[in-house]
Amino acid sequence: MTSSLTTASKGSKILGMTSIVGFVVLVLLAFFVTDPDIRFHPETGEEFGQFDAVRLLYLHVPMAIVTYLAFVVCAIASAGYLVKRTFWWDSMAHAAGEVGTLTCALVLITGSIWGRPVWNTWWEWGDVRLMSTLILFLLFLGYLALRGAFVSPQHAARPAAIVALIAVLDIPLINRSVEWWENRTLHQKSTLSELKIEDLTLFTLVLGILVSVLVVSWLILHRFRVAWLEHVEFEQGVKTAIEERRHLGHGD
Amino acid sequence: MKPLEELTPRQDRIEKKNSALLPKFAGVLLLVIVVIVLFKTLGNASLFFYPVDEAVEKRVELQDRRFRVIGTPQPEIFETTLSGRQVLVFTLCTGDIYADVVHEGDPAELFNPGVPVVLQGVWREIQPPSMEKLRYSPNDGWHIETDSMVVKHDNDYRSDRAELESCSSE
Repeated sequence: MTSSLTTASKGSKILGMTSIVGFVVLVLLAFFVTDPDIRFHPETGEEFGQFDAVRLLYLHVPMAIVTYLAFVVCAIASAGYLVKRTFWWDSMAHAAGEVGTLTCALVLITGSIWGRPVWNTWWEWGDVRLMSTLILFLLFLGYLALRGAFVSPQHAARPAAIVALIAVLDIPLINRSVEWWENRTLHQKSTLSELKIEDLTLFTLVLGILVSVLVVSWLILHRFRVAWLEHVEFEQGVKTAIEERRHLGHGD
Repeated sequence: MKPLEELTPRQDRIEKKNSALLPKFAGVLLLVIVVIVLFKTLGNASLFFYPVDEAVEKRVELQDRRFRVIGTPQPEIFETTLSGRQVLVFTLCTGDIYADVVHEGDPAELFNPGVPVVLQGVWREIQPPSMEKLRYSPNDGWHIETDSMVVKHDNDYRSDRAELESCSSE
């Protein structure tokens, strides 16, 4: 096999290696080095807190942030496509939308697993933060389904771009929901913006965000390159087919 | 030999196939569903749970209706028996308004004084059992009978420096 059949480049290999090493360090810090969340009640002296469930936050919060980022990239690329009408913008939107949908699913799953011991429920219907995130996931699932509903990617590009631009409007709603409906959601407010976190806990969370950005960038890059290769292959296939037909024509 | 035919893929045929109504209909349907879900969610969420003060204020209006209430459990939580059932008795507050609670069923793992909880139940116009042990009881002849409990955890991760929710009259 030659290197021309891979989606990797020197840069993406470095990015990939950094992502893997960063992820291993993150897992070590999150699950083995940082302390569990244990507090002592000032009046009763009883032990309480999130205990080991807090460790999931080092994955859940960064996943949520990169989900926003991926969908914003998808929306920007969709707007780019509507202006430029080139395959590059459409592929970028597709790649970011696909990776964002994956991370959005992980946000919902990790949030649910964390919610069981901490909130005492896997899921709370009617909770505005949870439901608006679920809607975002469904919107982008619809976005991907819409892309698949067309015979050729170029025909899916315009309607998909419009859907992405509409779907991304849900993000500010999700982000602000804990402020706007403060007493109407189980979800806590932002810890980072109020800086109610410190020392190794803060370091691990920030590392988690950086590593997640790297991993998602790596995935988007490769997904984009796969789409590009598919496009080239499709174009090549059409050209080859035409050539073959021409040869057949000459043969008659 | 025949003259070479035009072999370019016919764009009009592809476009005709893609301009079928199905994807457009599916898109519109998806959008309508999302708008309905969003509308319903926000509508429900705006009435998701009452703080204790609002629940007390709307006590007559809420009577016999199941509702959700959010508040901070106060110290002194008792386990007792009521009509043969094991229940937890405690006082909940928001600001300086208190309400007694009789909760049936397992409490949440993180249930603790100072950690806000969301309870679901109904108002009962009767004193709770073991009321004399409740330091913060409003002693108003009412309690909320609940059977569902979830915790609303705070966003503080500063371990020993994290502050617990408290009520203003404490």
